[in-house]
Amino acid sequence: MFRFPRLAPSAWSARLLLGIVAALLIAPQSAAAQTATAQTATPQQVTAAEPVVYDVLLKGGHVIDPKNGRNARLDIAIVGGRIHRVAEHLPPAQARKVVDVSDYIVTPGLIDIHAHYDVSGPSLSLNPDHNSLRNGVTTAVDAGTSGWKRFEEFKKDTIDRAETRVLALLNIVGAGMYGSGEGEPENDVAEMDVDAAVRMVKKYPNIIVGIKTAHYQPADWEAVDRAVKAAELSNTVLMVDFHPKPGRGYEELILKHMQPGNIHTHFYGRLTPQIDENKRVQDYMWKARERGVLFDVGHGSGSFWFRIAVPAIQQGFLPDTISTDIHKSSIMLPHATLTNVMSKFLNIGMTLEQVIERTTVNAAKAIRRYDLGNLDEGSVADIAVLEVERGRFPFVDSGRAKHIGDRRLNAILTVRAGEIVWDLKGLAAEEFSNVGPYSNFK
Amino acid sequence: MILCLAAALPLAAQQYDLLIRGGRVIDPANEIDGVMDIAVQGQAIARVARDIPATQAKKIIDATGAIVTPGLIDLHAHVFGYSGSIFPDDTALYAGTTTVVDCGGAGWRTFNEFKETLIDQAQTRVLSFINIVGHGMIGEPYESDVTDMDPEKTAAKMAEYPDLIVGIKTAHFTGEGWPAIDAAIKAGELSGKPVIIDDKIFTNTGRTSKEKLLGKMRPGDLHTHAFNDRQVEIVSRFNGKVEPYVWEARKRGVLFDLGHGGGSFMWPVATKAAAQGFYPDTISTDLHTSSIMGPRSDMPNCITKMMALGMGLPDAIARSTVAPAKAIKKFPALGTLGEGKEADIAVFRVEKGVFALMDAWKKKLLATEQLTPILTVRAGKIVVDVEGLGFPEWQEAGDYVSIP
Repeated sequence: MFRFPRLAPSAWSARLLLGIVAALLIAPQSAAAQTATAQTATPQQVTAAEPVVYDVLLKGGHVIDPKNGRNARLDIAIVGGRIHRVAEHLPPAQARKVVDVSDYIVTPGLIDIHAHYDVSGPSLSLNPDHNSLRNGVTTAVDAGTSGWKRFEEFKKDTIDRAETRVLALLNIVGAGMYGSGEGEPENDVAEMDVDAAVRMVKKYPNIIVGIKTAHYQPADWEAVDRAVKAAELSNTVLMVDFHPKPGRGYEELILKHMQPGNIHTHFYGRLTPQIDENKRVQDYMWKARERGVLFDVGHGSGSFWFRIAVPAIQQGFLPDTISTDIHKSSIMLPHATLTNVMSKFLNIGMTLEQVIERTTVNAAKAIRRYDLGNLDEGSVADIAVLEVERGRFPFVDSGRAKHIGDRRLNAILTVRAGEIVWDLKGLAAEEFSNVGPYSNFK
Repeated sequence: MILCLAAALPLAAQQYDLLIRGGRVIDPANEIDGVMDIAVQGQAIARVARDIPATQAKKIIDATGAIVTPGLIDLHAHVFGYSGSIFPDDTALYAGTTTVVDCGGAGWRTFNEFKETLIDQAQTRVLSFINIVGHGMIGEPYESDVTDMDPEKTAAKMAEYPDLIVGIKTAHFTGEGWPAIDAAIKAGELSGKPVIIDDKIFTNTGRTSKEKLLGKMRPGDLHTHAFNDRQVEIVSRFNGKVEPYVWEARKRGVLFDLGHGGGSFMWPVATKAAAQGFYPDTISTDLHTSSIMGPRSDMPNCITKMMALGMGLPDAIARSTVAPAKAIKKFPALGTLGEGKEADIAVFRVEKGVFALMDAWKKKLLATEQLTPILTVRAGKIVVDVEGLGFPEWQEAGDYVSIP
């Protein structure tokens, strides 16, 4: 970061300061005026008057920042890894690097609240950085891949090494996602140690944002209730992945067992009775929403079906948060990256603003990380630059049917903590023929 | 004749599982470049011909306007061992790449773990250049430890897995002289397989590119990172000419591999070499966690860069299919759309526009066309289908569960 060189106080300025002190003591009534005049000559004041040098200036983009109600052509100045100013016509002369983003949408770095990035853990995980940053995602929440038993290994191997901000929902199952077949850990109630989970959440309050329960097969409420309890005791959020069974119904889950602020993920799943046989959204969905239960997409390889999502959206039942459930199989045919999932919603009745709201400020609120998902001046500079490309774009869902849309969101450039970490179109790069010779030879 | 046809009809009704129709098929191994149909039966390519009737297939993909090639072979990737290694399915299969060769992640001590945890788990076909270092590519001091470079033990592991281990890698040796390269070549002699070399030419190594290429490397051995001026001096730093010993090495049968990577593709080198007609024999990525971000050097990106340097698309496909298959002695099993071969197929579009192609220094060259992968078939199965070419629209699909 550029700073104006600090001048060594000279003898005259020391004398001047002494004079000011004397004047203050002698004539308090005129001190303010004198001080103001005198201080214009001090080194500190010279520094303040000098314009701030921006590390990066994102120029001319259409900024959509739902938390701050911004939806206009604005410039964003980044200084020291933080957002310094968001305003019209910031001077390019003050910037070390100016990136013209006038063809694009500029949003807070996207937040994917349901991902699987525990690379050294259960086999479903993917590497976080290229699957996040290349899709505009600067914060990804690993949704319960690990439990308390190996969370610290996950932290050391992946969270601490990733450029992406990786947060976690801790699985109520101590072992984490190591199988939900017969006799495997995810069905083992003895693995669901509420106190141990709460202790781990409290040990890493800046990383672990809540609790996850998933894949539990027995037709009882043990897994959900223990997870609810752990979330309560740790004062964090809960994300629930749930398949209804006889004696363990969905209505009861969202109206009784889950608490306000808890998140049901995969709510477009084929086995979730969110719509009736006439494709009408069930009354209990609206009631649960009124209670404060949140509904998250969690697209995955088995949780997003156009035949369910389209009628629900037509009736005005929109997701609270849009997330991917990205893992080794959902990335393949349904291609569940966040920009892909957002594009799907953009093409089935949601507006660009609604889609961005659900992947920025709403996602941040859902995990109670109010510092994220916005372009507040002073906040960490996590920014996504997105293109709304027009054309003919088919999208494949979890059931392998396609919807042909006319718009696609592409992640053009991603800024993480002030650094440009993804630059699809080379907007920030110089042409090699315009720079002098360069070489790796030493 | 009529009787024969009639008898054949019921069988012909749906004898193929998959038919990719109407694309421009570029299959250099079989000297095919033209509009053709490809029929797949089970895991194998059943027929490549013009106008195979649609009625003969259960699933039809309309590839009109697209490019259809053998699944690409990336003979320099990192999927195990190395700290920047990356799981292949989401990166390779999405890039039309059905075979990756892990380039030295595992050594003889770690190969079995590599096989169990990765090779056996991935949908991508994963092969190995085994590292001459027993511990594999795990950084210093291991990679410069000459006592862990055992040609006999390495060759013994290769003999145990002859189908999976296609050669030997030596890389990152920081000591002086030739012990790492000599040990790798010894293992190459014992196993009868090629060596791939990544070797820096810092001034104090006591090694020169000339001696390496002419005195040490055997015909069929590969030098990777061809367009990095730190690994091998292709272009003279003094006069900008491709060095005579490079042409001589090529004549001897030494192969030059791209190995793009995060730090090994330099426009100043590549443009000078290409202007003199010097292109890499094999196109590969050196794909790992950082190279996929900055320069985004997956196979289609590397091919796009070669096209920007003047290489024709069919030539670039040849150097990404049949050429690497031959280099790792897997031809004709791989790198071809020959009838009866395993059905690994890639489908691309050539997009027109302005595309920024980045090198290791994040300097860009602007190109006007780009190869974009859209569909990948691995062992007869559609594993990637960005445009949903193989699937129906949901409005027509009723209460679909999982469309085959």
